[in-house]
Amino acid sequence: MIAEPCKGVEHRLQAYLDRSLTVDEVAMIEVHLGECDYCRQRYHFEAQLRDTVKTVCCGDPVPGDLVDRVRLAIRQSA
Amino acid sequence: MPNTPSVEATERAEFEEDALAYADQLYRIALRLSGSSQMAEELVQETYLRALRSWRTYRAGTNLAAWLATILRNAYLDEARRRSRRPVTEPLDDESDYFLYDQLSGGRFEGPQEALMSKLTNDAILRSLEEVPEHFREAVVLVDIGDFSYQEAADILDVPIGTVMSRLHRGRRQLKRALAAHALDGEEGTGPG
Repeated sequence: MIAEPCKGVEHRLQAYLDRSLTVDEVAMIEVHLGECDYCRQRYHFEAQLRDTVKTVCCGDPVPGDLVDRVRLAIRQSA
Repeated sequence: MPNTPSVEATERAEFEEDALAYADQLYRIALRLSGSSQMAEELVQETYLRALRSWRTYRAGTNLAAWLATILRNAYLDEARRRSRRPVTEPLDDESDYFLYDQLSGGRFEGPQEALMSKLTNDAILRSLEEVPEHFREAVVLVDIGDFSYQEAADILDVPIGTVMSRLHRGRRQLKRALAAHALDGEEGTGPG
């Protein structure tokens, strides 16, 4: 059985990571994360998942001559 | 008589240089939207051609990255329409936000995050994102990968901010569902024999 405060944190955790909560909501979450292992564990996972997805999805090398080729396309279309 | 460039030509050249500074960022968004490096490069080129055709409509001092991303997204939609690459799956929305955590941990794990995260290979992450239906993937790509705000993403996608938040929410869930499937595939494939 998951406690009510934990449900509240689960419900707001993505918005917390998005920094889109009010000051009061942030304070509520942070107090709870400070005292609840269950939620802290999941918060760390969710935060790290965001970072990992972003890092992997930005990890492809951009072609080194991309800008040159865009310039060429611009000149050719002029 | 010396051939000095006109004021307009100078302004256009300055605009072009300012805009080209975002080529890498646009390429990464295009790559995650289209799933193909070749198409990503074509989309970036098309974006700049369109941008330079209508550069006078850009208002100096406003968000150039978001302006360019809007053009990129329209170019992508045109291309997707041409290729009939449309989403077919409807997302389900009934599971916990901790769905992926629960799947990876088997509901028992209370140890370091690295052990869970290591179940997600780079390949699984990239494939999972491609599997997220297009409307939802766009929101995830712009906000979680492109670092655009809710409001900027709403402007780029031309939808209300509430729609962006809803698509983002569902897109992230879809991504977790796909990640869980790929992580479990990987475990089955690594056993002995």
